[in-house]
Amino acid sequence: MSPAREPVPRPVSWPGSRLVTQIDALTGRSLRALVLDPRVLATSLLAPFLMLAMFSQVFSGMTAGSHFPEGIGYIDFLAPAIMVNTSLQSGMLAGTNLSDEMRNGIVARFKVMPIWPGSVLIGRSLAELIRSLLRLTVLLLAALALFGFRPGGGVAGVIAGAGVAVVLGWGLGWIFIAIACWLRGAELIQNVSGAMLFPLMFASNAFAPVEGLPGWLSLIARINPMTYGIDAVRDLTLRGAAGLDAVIAVTASLSIAVVSLFVAERGFSRIH
Amino acid sequence: MAPLPHAAGGGARMSAAIEVRGLAKRYRDVVALAGVDLTVPQGTVHGLLGHNGAGKTTLVDVLATRARPSAGTARVAGLDVVRQARHVRRRIGLTGQYASIDEQLGGRDNLVLLARLLGARRAEARARADELLQLFGLTASATRPARTYSGGMRRRLDLAAALVNGPRVILLDEPTTGLDPAGRLDLWRIVRALVQDGAAVLLTTQYLDEADRLSDTITVLSRGRVVAGGTPAELKHRVGRRSATVRFAAAADLEAAGRALRRGGFRPAPAGERRAVTVPVERAGELAALVRVLDDAGLEPDELLVADPTLDEVYLALMSDPAATPEAVR
Ligand SMILES: Nc1ncnc2c1ncn2[C@@H]1O[C@H](COP(=O)(O)OP(=O)(O)OP(=O)(O)O)[C@@H](O)[C@H]1O
Ligand SMILES: [Mg+2]
Repeated sequence: MSPAREPVPRPVSWPGSRLVTQIDALTGRSLRALVLDPRVLATSLLAPFLMLAMFSQVFSGMTAGSHFPEGIGYIDFLAPAIMVNTSLQSGMLAGTNLSDEMRNGIVARFKVMPIWPGSVLIGRSLAELIRSLLRLTVLLLAALALFGFRPGGGVAGVIAGAGVAVVLGWGLGWIFIAIACWLRGAELIQNVSGAMLFPLMFASNAFAPVEGLPGWLSLIARINPMTYGIDAVRDLTLRGAAGLDAVIAVTASLSIAVVSLFVAERGFSRIH
Repeated sequence: MAPLPHAAGGGARMSAAIEVRGLAKRYRDVVALAGVDLTVPQGTVHGLLGHNGAGKTTLVDVLATRARPSAGTARVAGLDVVRQARHVRRRIGLTGQYASIDEQLGGRDNLVLLARLLGARRAEARARADELLQLFGLTASATRPARTYSGGMRRRLDLAAALVNGPRVILLDEPTTGLDPAGRLDLWRIVRALVQDGAAVLLTTQYLDEADRLSDTITVLSRGRVVAGGTPAELKHRVGRRSATVRFAAAADLEAAGRALRRGGFRPAPAGERRAVTVPVERAGELAALVRVLDDAGLEPDELLVADPTLDEVYLALMSDPAATPEAVR
């Protein structure tokens, strides 16, 4: 009826996107939420700092214990563990924040788009990895400037140690992403993730040498990739070199990442 | 990515945009769809009506590949929604009942992101976003986060998001809920233009006038079953007939008219309003006869209205018919 023809969107013939494009676009999107929002970033940077302050005060008497390596201050023993834990916490956040993400309408749209659903998860996880790097940087600067952290491994050792910590946390973080993809409801995901985090964190040599732990706990600590990771990070930061521990830690966490990615992807894209 | 298969039998262009056969969907003990058949040809609008919980969204979800049918088949653009889900996804545009946009991002960034995911290069993606923002009147608020948008603006962004890939099959679940009257008219114009351009649109709505004005064909769902279907005109003819309402200024004239019409073979009935009668008139000739009868009796009506039954009457009749609303099958 109307004289002028109503405009319609021009036809397009896009071939579909490549996986790298999907991951790039989706990482960029997640980064905006995680890093470019100053309030979210500031609070996430505060946590590792607080952890350092608390543990260095509460457990400082531990150096007197018999299992403690000779000639190493507690802060030097603690800082690598906090590095690994900060990174692991970032890994956990990648999962627990995913439940908020699921409530974001656009994720429902992603699910009916011709893309690999796993890219949504990878994008999320890579953005969290970048935030984890920022958190580690802040943590190390604070440890050096305020807590008297004097790592014997030098700059190269500390950077290598931070690298192992980041890979460890990122890899284990996929466990939490998988949990978030299979469970329904933010609270359930929080609870299950929290229950996973504690053994990973405390059934390890993070806060006390394995030999100092009670029998059953030291048993878990010996199969916990965290133990190897923390040893490797300690060796690198304190001595500038690492042995088999680093290889075990990195291989284990990357294997866990790959397996968890596919488990997570199946949970994420399942339909009813 | 794997190359696109040709649709069944290589006859993609011949097959209907949407073809649903015996579709059932059960969620635990709830039967959401209990055997639905539906065909929507390319280049038409199909309206889906039904009470809350009738299964409209479930049907849309199955077509959009986000719910798995329990039985039956559904094909979109000739492609099976279960076995060829990925290819179906390339061809559909979906606006769900709840907005599917990123609240943190502005309208432009939302659309750019979607275009890139669909395979546009950065520059193309930006051009596409601007084109759609323009079309939906969102250019002025393109950069502020969508969480600051009004409900209607969000709805429009969600519609724009459904059209990024220029889909030939468009699924709209209550697209005008929350739009102001101008926004609804805009949407209707866009839907009509898309269909003129050859797209097929399946839309659910609670507004019967919307279904009436926009749809080529309508399906009425009740408790997961199709209880009526056809063109709006066909549906209206099922429940009621065209009738004339004759109104008089004086009560005496009304009585005289009643007598005259009965003598003339009509069946006048008191109308809801005072001093008016309604008379079923099915053919144009009957209307002429009616006017003649009144004229011969020397009666001059104040007002004479001829009206089709409305879709509201059709809908209410369908919904109050117990046969139309079988108990959910267990
Ligand atoms: N994910 C689900 N799990 C369980 N039951 C569901 C689910 N989705 C829908 N249902 C049920 O299926 C039935 C049909 O729901 P549907 O959302 O398709 O209705 P609708 O016609 O879209 O209603 P409305 O007009 O309210 O949007 C309802 O009884 C609903 O409770
Ligand atoms: Mg619905």
